[in-house]
Amino acid sequence: MANVNPAARNDLTAAELKKAERAAKKEAKRVAKIQNKKKPKKGKEKRLNRSMAGNTILFTLMIICGLFMVLPLVMIINNCLKPLDELYQFPPKIFVRNPTLENFSDLFVLMNDSWVPFSRYILNTIIITLGGMLGHVICASLAAYPLAKHKFPGRDLLFSMVVLSMMFSWQVTQIPQYLIISWLGINNTYAALILPAWSFGMGLYLMKQFMEQLPDSLMESARLDGATEWTIFWKIVMPNVKPAWLTLAIFQFQQMWANTGSIFLRDEQLKPMQFALQQITAGGTRRAGAAAAVTFIIAAVPITFFLICQRNVLETMTTSGMKD
Amino acid sequence: MAEGAEKKVKKKATLLQRRDRKGYLFILPWLVGFIVFYVRSIIQTIQFSFNTLTMDAGVGGYALSWAGLENYRYAFTVHPTFKQILTTSVMDMVIDVPLIIFFSLFMAMLLNKEFKGRGLVRAIFFLPVLMNAGAITAALDLSATMMNGGVSGEVAETAGAASDAVAFSLDYLIDMFVSIGIPAKLLDYMVSAVERINDIIRASGVQIVIFIAALQSIPSSLYEVAKIEGATTYETFWKVTFPMVMPHIITNVVYTIVDSYSTSDVVELASSTAFTNFNYGLSAVFSLVSAVVTCAILVVVVNFIQKRTFYYT
Repeated sequence: MANVNPAARNDLTAAELKKAERAAKKEAKRVAKIQNKKKPKKGKEKRLNRSMAGNTILFTLMIICGLFMVLPLVMIINNCLKPLDELYQFPPKIFVRNPTLENFSDLFVLMNDSWVPFSRYILNTIIITLGGMLGHVICASLAAYPLAKHKFPGRDLLFSMVVLSMMFSWQVTQIPQYLIISWLGINNTYAALILPAWSFGMGLYLMKQFMEQLPDSLMESARLDGATEWTIFWKIVMPNVKPAWLTLAIFQFQQMWANTGSIFLRDEQLKPMQFALQQITAGGTRRAGAAAAVTFIIAAVPITFFLICQRNVLETMTTSGMKD
Repeated sequence: MAEGAEKKVKKKATLLQRRDRKGYLFILPWLVGFIVFYVRSIIQTIQFSFNTLTMDAGVGGYALSWAGLENYRYAFTVHPTFKQILTTSVMDMVIDVPLIIFFSLFMAMLLNKEFKGRGLVRAIFFLPVLMNAGAITAALDLSATMMNGGVSGEVAETAGAASDAVAFSLDYLIDMFVSIGIPAKLLDYMVSAVERINDIIRASGVQIVIFIAALQSIPSSLYEVAKIEGATTYETFWKVTFPMVMPHIITNVVYTIVDSYSTSDVVELASSTAFTNFNYGLSAVFSLVSAVVTCAILVVVVNFIQKRTFYYT
């Protein structure tokens, strides 16, 4: 009896909550409507600042620059829908005439023939990409916080080391890298790709630059309320630099996604999808159709990831978080 | 009273120190990886540069024999192209970096405005970063080859350059400007800037995102004040926007330099020396010298900007 009663009460409150929620949503809609009505007025006011002609010129310029950037993507999308004879057409056309999904079905045939089941490649990619991305973002943010907001001996030295290390790109330090990886005994494992990504300098640099912009008073007030450094980091600093670490996540996602891992991974079972797909592209002219489909897949995933995060990255930059 | 105050100050100092010591704990996971993977490899590169490295096929390892400054001497006095490639890479950087910074700031300001389809346009400007994968560039090369009717890009390029009427008229224009009295150096800069427009647009994706984030972190109250005081858009840009994004200009300059260095010809030369000519010592010299040069540029530029930077907080 005593057990049933609270449950019943909970139900009641849940129903009530739902009602209240609905009411709140309605209210929010109404407010949004009013705000939307107000917005155009504001826009008109702003437009007084710049002439129509100026705006037109600026946006034309932007569209031209945008065309430069979007052209490869348009080509990739169209190419993957072109039948083989159109792929080799000369002079080439950007837009597809008779779209087919032939290329994709060719690709699936190729995938089914692969040495290792294709799903294994996909799993490898997921492990490497997510592992590298999450580790990099967390390690870089953790390290960036004291570098940006605390003073301790060796801080500047450490930071200049980071900048220096960015100058040695992986192409030129491949041999020492390989030696270290095999010395650690993680050669031919996922860790050979994931662990070095965790301590790459660029992420730390970007995070530090963004954290420096946070006002000290935010952290001070948290400290006055008795928050530990750990709490401050997770509850105050990280939410406030969300755009920064999301940007970093997108960036690192792309880097790990594009990684073929051909240096460190020898077992076919461990290689990422990127490697298998590159093999198909390397088939040259005979596999042009399948290669076009591959390119589409490789390009589509990071772009989708970016579109998911994009709203958070670019739309909600918290202003300093203070009432000035 | 005075004693109490003194005590408080003392206590606060120790607390601060204790707190700062905690900073090491935060850095630790990153630092361990950094020392293991990066510091060690840099040290080894330095070591290689003073040695001749020979592969030992029997044992399956390598042997170092001390060569002193021989590799450096070879790089600077004997190697036919190193100095030339180094100077071109550095010059490219000097041309590209300011252009990329200005272009991305300009684009960020445009993209920060409210207009329809803003999200889409922003995504478009981030595309080059997202499509920077080996397989994609390979595929684009392949389709470019197909577009030239099966001729590889290089051949088509030389063929195109040989019979280019546009190039002639461009030369004519440049000659005209020189005879008017515009300094040739400035013209060279502008011509190479125009030539690179595509590269510049493609290289500024991350910078645009950083600048947009910076622009959005400017408190709107500052703009309000500027408006009330009757500032024009031009004045608002130079007195509010520009000083407020200054710290991020440094971030972007460093990022751009590092980015353009890691794809430069010097790095390519170093990696081809190591992996096609198997001269690891010389390759280590190339990468070390160019890294030091780039770092020197970085330090000078960052110091120059930092002195003029305005920090709001």
